[in-house]
Amino acid sequence: MSVAGAADGKRALLAADGVGKRFGARTALVATTLVVEAGEAVALVGPNGAGKSTLLSILAGSLRPSTGEVVRRARSVGWAPQRPAHYGRLTARENLELFASLAGVRSPRADARRLLDVVELEDDAPAAELSAGNQQRLNLALALLGDPDVLLLDEPAAALDEAGRTRLWEIAAATRERAGAVVFATQSTEEVERRADRVVALLAGRVVFDGAPHEYAAAPA
Amino acid sequence: MRNVALLLRKDARVLARSRALVAVCVVYPLVLALLVGLVVRYAGERPRVALVDNDELPRELVVGGQRFNVAEVIEDVEGQSELVPLSEDEADRELEAGRVVAVVVVPPGFAERLRTMAESPKLVLKTARGGLAARVEQQIQALVYNLNRRLQDAYIEANLRYVQILREGGSATARGNEFDVIGLEEAGRILAEIERTTDDPAVAARARELGQFVREARVALALSDDSLRATANPIELETDAEGGRWPLSAQVQGTALGVALAFLCVLVAAAGIAAEREENTIARLARGLVRLGELVAEKVALVAAIAVALGLAVAVAFAVAVELAGAPGAAAWERLPLLALALALAGAALGAVGVLVGVLARETRTASLVGVLVALPFVLLGLVPEGAVDAAGALSQAFPFAHTVRITDAALYEGDPWRPLAREAGWLLALTAAYALAARAGMRRLLG
Repeated sequence: MSVAGAADGKRALLAADGVGKRFGARTALVATTLVVEAGEAVALVGPNGAGKSTLLSILAGSLRPSTGEVVRRARSVGWAPQRPAHYGRLTARENLELFASLAGVRSPRADARRLLDVVELEDDAPAAELSAGNQQRLNLALALLGDPDVLLLDEPAAALDEAGRTRLWEIAAATRERAGAVVFATQSTEEVERRADRVVALLAGRVVFDGAPHEYAAAPA
Repeated sequence: MRNVALLLRKDARVLARSRALVAVCVVYPLVLALLVGLVVRYAGERPRVALVDNDELPRELVVGGQRFNVAEVIEDVEGQSELVPLSEDEADRELEAGRVVAVVVVPPGFAERLRTMAESPKLVLKTARGGLAARVEQQIQALVYNLNRRLQDAYIEANLRYVQILREGGSATARGNEFDVIGLEEAGRILAEIERTTDDPAVAARARELGQFVREARVALALSDDSLRATANPIELETDAEGGRWPLSAQVQGTALGVALAFLCVLVAAAGIAAEREENTIARLARGLVRLGELVAEKVALVAAIAVALGLAVAVAFAVAVELAGAPGAAAWERLPLLALALALAGAALGAVGVLVGVLARETRTASLVGVLVALPFVLLGLVPEGAVDAAGALSQAFPFAHTVRITDAALYEGDPWRPLAREAGWLLALTAAYALAARAGMRRLLG
């Protein structure tokens, strides 16, 4: 699969072309190439410190790669980092309105209200006072601002209750159905098997596997 | 610009919800200003000076016929310096240890020289080496000047008494010798009697001539009183300290505002940018929503706005307090718009320093601590009087505090504020740009 295009005539929405990342003397990600196609659900797996969050941050545009480049064909890319990124003293609605305004969304207020409904979140307290699960819902709502066609989710189900998880995967499925794509980092084998149609395994900053979930399950450890 | 405005509105909302922080922001400058006012007024103005009396000065000294109570003179002088009587050895030890800033030695024979008025007696001043020596020397010169003024008055009175004796006759003492003088009035009377009683026309003519001289001399000496006083003091300075009792006087307001703003602005900016990192929002903003330069500019603008609001509040509080204290006219109401401009420039520069601190410190608690640690030495350096220590002056130029004090002073009290205002505005703008660029570079490095 090349960065320029996708296999089987599918549309490439987002690609990492030889991206690597160093933090001082430490290499977090060795030059990695990954193409995300329309309709895909890609699971990034690997132990802690393997480079999953670094790769997602680079794909999201939050972190600059030390080498290589990110090619973005998607209209918009949504990102829910592992550690929620919102203002604790603002309410969920105020956070959504602010980031919507900064992103140039046409009607920030209406969009904020809609997304609160989508993630089933009440807006009556500063975000810092929300439970961990509700903070994750807000994190997800922020990723959905501007109706992105690619969702980058870093361990999105962590801290969510059963209803929250169901809602999360419904949203992910809806994005794929709109010819979008979802890339999510996870530690859960069940999520890999049920939610992904492609698995990319990282180890010590290197891609060590890229294939279907059943192949990954059958691969030697 | 739109992004900066959106973030400013967000930060204003966040600040408004941090009631404890708002309370600290309001109360801290006022308390600090009051403390600085008291410290500057009452602490720094009385250096401890040792007095070594090798002449064993008497309780009372008679100079030019006037009696001086030595204890009273010293008490008066102590308004400027704290005089501590010590032996010469003790004084040298105290000076060496830095417990006194100078030693004034009264050498043997001092009082006798004063009494005889034959030559000027000398006081010896020993000061410690170092940056404060020049300042202490100025203080002691002022002390000697004040003593000289008192003695000068005594000498003039003595000389005028001699003149009076020359005119009216009597007994006097000069350089320890007592003598009697008949005086010009008596001399004139004797000459008139000689002229009237003599049969020799030549003697009568000489007596008339001498009588004429005596009359002219009397007239001339009668005028000597005012002219002698005038030549002694061509310009007299009359000091009225009544208006200066208020501890928050004009001189300390600039310093008080500067100290308060230096800490508050650096801390708020440092904590603000560190909080963006701590809440991970900087990662979201850095995705192309906001440029790093915009984020730095927003924090700088936020702190500038806070500086204007708090600075004006403090200035208004000062002005009201000064008016209530019964010093009408001391409050600089009409200068508040100029002060707002000065505060905005100062706040921006201090904010830029704070943003750099916040970027380097990375998390809020560390940023707050580092903010204090950075601001404190520069504030202390800035409080050293200009010209006292050259290195301190040069170093403090690199931090906005000294410029903040000078620009607020200029805005509030300079008769012609525009030149110092423009100079300090230039400094503050340059410092804002330098620190903001450094902060932006640090942030870029931080975000990889």
